Amino acid sequence: MQQFEEETYTKKEFDTKTWKRIFSFMKPLRRYAIIVVLCGVFLAVADLAYPLINRYGIDYIIENEDLSMLPYFIGVYVLFMAAMGTLVFTFIYFAEKVQNHLAYAIRQKAFKKLQELPFSYYDRTPAGWIMARMTSDSRQLSDMISWGLIDITWGGLMMIGLAVVMLVLNWQLALIVLSVLPILVYLSLYFRRKILKAFRNIRKQNSKITGAFNEGIGGAKTTKTLVLEESNYQDFDRLTSRMKKHSIRAAMFAGLYFPTILFIAAIATALVFYYGGLDVRDQVIQVGLLYVFVSYVGQFFDPIMQLANTIAHFQQAQASAERVVGLIDADPDIKDTPEVVERYGTILEPKKENWEPLHGDVTFENISFKYKKGERVLDNFNLQVKAGESVALVGHTGAGKSTIVNLICRFYEPTQGRILIDGKDYKERSLSWLHGHLGYVLQSPHLFSGTIRENIRYGNLEASEAEIIEAAKLVGAHEFIESFAEGYDTEVQEGGSRLSVGQKQLISFARALIKDPAILILDEATSSVDTATEQKIQKAIEVIMRGRTSFVIAHRLSTIVNADKILVLEHGKIIEAGSHEELLNNRAHYYQLYTNQFKETALSH
Amino acid sequence: MRRLKQFTQWMKGQLHLYIIGMLLLFFLQYFRTLTPLFVQHIVDTVFANKPSALPAFIANLLIADTVQRQLLLVAVFSVAFALFRLTFVFVQRVIFAVFTERTAYNMRNTLYDRLQNLSFTYHSQADTGDLIQRTTTDVDTYRRFIGEQLVDVLRLLFLMVFAVYQMMLMNPRMTAISLAMSPIILVSALVYFAYVKKIFRRVEEAEGEMTTAVQENVTGNRVVKAFANERFEMEKFDKTSTKFREESMRLTKLMAFFWGGTDLLIFAQYALTASFGIYFAVMGTLDTGQFIAFLSLLGLIVWPLRQLGRIVGDFGKTTVALDRIDEIMAQESEHENDTTNTPDIQGHIRFENVTFQFVDDTKPLLKNVSFEVHPGETLAVIGKTGSGKSTLMNLMVRLLDNQEGRILFDGCDIKSINKKHLRKNVGIVLQEPFLYSKSVYENIGIIKRDVPKERIVDVANIARVHDDIEDFEAGYDTLVGERGVTLSGGQKQRLAIARMLLDTKPVLIFDDSLSAVDTETDIQIRRALYKHWQNTTVFIITHRITTAMEADKIIVLDQGEIIAQGTHETLLAEGGLYAELYHQQTKIAQEFEAHKGGDEDATI
Repeated sequence: MQQFEEETYTKKEFDTKTWKRIFSFMKPLRRYAIIVVLCGVFLAVADLAYPLINRYGIDYIIENEDLSMLPYFIGVYVLFMAAMGTLVFTFIYFAEKVQNHLAYAIRQKAFKKLQELPFSYYDRTPAGWIMARMTSDSRQLSDMISWGLIDITWGGLMMIGLAVVMLVLNWQLALIVLSVLPILVYLSLYFRRKILKAFRNIRKQNSKITGAFNEGIGGAKTTKTLVLEESNYQDFDRLTSRMKKHSIRAAMFAGLYFPTILFIAAIATALVFYYGGLDVRDQVIQVGLLYVFVSYVGQFFDPIMQLANTIAHFQQAQASAERVVGLIDADPDIKDTPEVVERYGTILEPKKENWEPLHGDVTFENISFKYKKGERVLDNFNLQVKAGESVALVGHTGAGKSTIVNLICRFYEPTQGRILIDGKDYKERSLSWLHGHLGYVLQSPHLFSGTIRENIRYGNLEASEAEIIEAAKLVGAHEFIESFAEGYDTEVQEGGSRLSVGQKQLISFARALIKDPAILILDEATSSVDTATEQKIQKAIEVIMRGRTSFVIAHRLSTIVNADKILVLEHGKIIEAGSHEELLNNRAHYYQLYTNQFKETALSH
Repeated sequence: MRRLKQFTQWMKGQLHLYIIGMLLLFFLQYFRTLTPLFVQHIVDTVFANKPSALPAFIANLLIADTVQRQLLLVAVFSVAFALFRLTFVFVQRVIFAVFTERTAYNMRNTLYDRLQNLSFTYHSQADTGDLIQRTTTDVDTYRRFIGEQLVDVLRLLFLMVFAVYQMMLMNPRMTAISLAMSPIILVSALVYFAYVKKIFRRVEEAEGEMTTAVQENVTGNRVVKAFANERFEMEKFDKTSTKFREESMRLTKLMAFFWGGTDLLIFAQYALTASFGIYFAVMGTLDTGQFIAFLSLLGLIVWPLRQLGRIVGDFGKTTVALDRIDEIMAQESEHENDTTNTPDIQGHIRFENVTFQFVDDTKPLLKNVSFEVHPGETLAVIGKTGSGKSTLMNLMVRLLDNQEGRILFDGCDIKSINKKHLRKNVGIVLQEPFLYSKSVYENIGIIKRDVPKERIVDVANIARVHDDIEDFEAGYDTLVGERGVTLSGGQKQRLAIARMLLDTKPVLIFDDSLSAVDTETDIQIRRALYKHWQNTTVFIITHRITTAMEADKIIVLDQGEIIAQGTHETLLAEGGLYAELYHQQTKIAQEFEAHKGGDEDATI
């Protein structure tokens, strides 16, 4: 997971492929994007024209002392006013529209991909990483693009326009002013890059401080009992001191940038004062033109700073772009073959009419499995389970219990061998077909925010009210649900703080039951609950296992004892198999495990 | 008044910096309004021999005999002037940066210190996310307020004041005309930003809902997949994502309308100023240069008005942030009025009728608990979940304080012993120990930072965690904790034991701290520990009877009360809960039989 820790930034100057892909998301938005670009053009024209309007007033009305032109002057001004108002409205509206729709499109594509990606992807990708792609990255990127679009057209046109107009008006004076341009461009880019880097550094420091606070709060008890307050404080002080130093340094950099640019502007203005002034003296130009040049010098710096800013941000956004494209274009390593898709449909568009019923015969045929990092291995594993049989998987942590379950669910696929369901390799049917017939109850039940009703219905979206209540009754959850003021409409809330662990488990049982799955996967919880709830859970387990092929990662004595088959696993191998009695009589591994572990469970309940 | 105090309390010791910064800011704005006047000077004074709008002390410097020399003087002086002004702009920015960052540094350190010293009760009830928010986002809000927003507002205000002043000096009537639209622009900005805040909140809420949808989907992806509900999830997400987009667009419409509308107003102001200016210029009551200066000075006033509205609209956030920070600071540190008494601790512990109850609880967690342990003895506390075992331990290091009765360490009431001293002498290994985001080395050596690495490997061996560590990619240098490798519960517990082994303490408590370790390893570790801590008074809190059995003395807790105490033999003889628990595990064979019976019933 280490590689997700630090945000990686590419060294490449410009990655055309990534940007091409990002811009391909903009196709449906092309119309809006064109409007935005046009706005940039008009805005540049307006900004260029504005000093010229005033110049007209100065040179033709004031200098000629001819008031008859004043009404036209006012008329032009009013038109300009209206144009600016409309233009500003239009470009903000459409730039934001592009931004919002693009961000939406990116999120949509990414989310869709997330639904298709196999479980192994989630196993190696921290949730926080995915969340960042879905929220901040998609927003930053679309922000960058929509506003970058207008900044680039406006800024670029402004610069060209200013240069051209100045040259047309008075090329000698224009050349003098433009002489400072290269220094300006260089400095702007230099500073922008430095400043961005400095602030990125600060953000990194800042996240470390947040982490330290998190640790200080989360580890308060340990800190107190070990009396580590002093040394923790010293560590923290080191972090904040560094933050202070870096922040001040960054602020100095940023503080130097603006005055430097303004100073160069002052030099350019002084050049206009002198040479322009001489021209006025010699009556080569009029005062109004001098005004225009002074204004243009001032206007020149905005687009340069803006462009430098945009370019610097684009470089930074490239990292976001790469990560987003990386997610959207991620190739699921577990997916249905084209033939299977043809017949059974995709995950999001299943062809349920072609689905065969699933009876529940499960066969592991010479299965070997190893995780990508080569952690744990199932070696030539064989197992045959008839429909309706229950199998309890026992063994130490790391013996391979979860792996077997993951393989049955096709969260992972075997490296070698075949898994047959109803006698047919499960790769010959679609993932959705399998999952559509699977019941799955997790060790720590994951409930979604929403009401209890919605959570039970999650197992079968078409379930009727009566079916929901029926399922809740069968697992013994109806009683406590009804005891809530809002009954089935009770909000579960994120994290489910209102429900006890036991209650959440019962709801997740109901959710599995309402699906009426042919194969049931049950990962039993080890956490202790009170005796009454424990009895309810035991009963519920019996109810949902009845008549289904069940695989249970078992911790409960009752579940194990009731199983048709017990598999004792060690290092990915079945070291013992049989019924409870048989295994006890063997006085071997199971007996050992039983006397060492399960009595504990018995004791804590 | 309270607000002012609240506002300045974090600036202590460097208020002078802030004041210097503000003064500098003030004068700089005056200089800034001089810049547009150079054009006026050229147009009116150099070319038309009319009075200069520049202050006399500058205008006098620009007198020369030829136009060319005068122009050269203006050009050179304007550059020198810019250099002078911009240097101070830089100085002023640095002053504010230093001030702001020092203040933020102070706040962070003070808050961190305070949080560490708040009582255990406070921490066990606090919401971590909320506290983090206060210590980071709220601090940042205040930092931005004093370092950016307030400075920006004052800069704009000073600038306006001086711009108006310069205008007044040239032509009062034109000044009035040039300010005509300002009140409308300012008021509409204020009203708009007050109104839009509500919309902002709705956008944030919509985004929050969307984030939750993604988060739940990602963390619950097993469930999603196993139930084949991808399509349903997609639709659910789409709903929130679309809503977020629609809410954002609603905000966009308002934003576009505001910025477009105020642009219209600003250019209307320009139109007014330009039209009247030209009229007056032709009539001869305004010089051309003055007209140009008016247009420039106008820009210094009207554009910032909108920003002013935006920033003022954000002020409310700062008071909320300060209030939230104050709430933490108002809590009393648990060490504030602690005694300085640090007696030598031998390990003789006596509980006399100790009762404890949380203030807002109805039932005491411990009732009338009395017992005695002598130095070097091992005491086991056994009981079910919720029987008060952990409370007992928390009382011994004063994470909690008992209301009734006394706890005596070597005859001395622990309430009269310095807390930190007490905790240094009583080692605890928690059931769920916390690991810091440091390497394994540093985590084990955390209470003795200078310990050599060999010692650390030694203790890791004793605690049976060495092999696990060696299995990690980076061995002892592996980063653990929140930002590192996640360890299993058992690994954490063994690491915590290793950490404790580096020191010898008169009292040691194991709070169910081998619960996640299998029985065999548990026994091995305990054997090794007894050797290591022969003279230590050891408390073992457990639900494992085999662990309790070997203790010199056993206490059986049930619902906060000691229902039995004695040795394994006496307790067994007495019958009761202890004997019941014991038989549960010794008579496994019988239990098998019972289950066999149940088995047949269930499968029929």
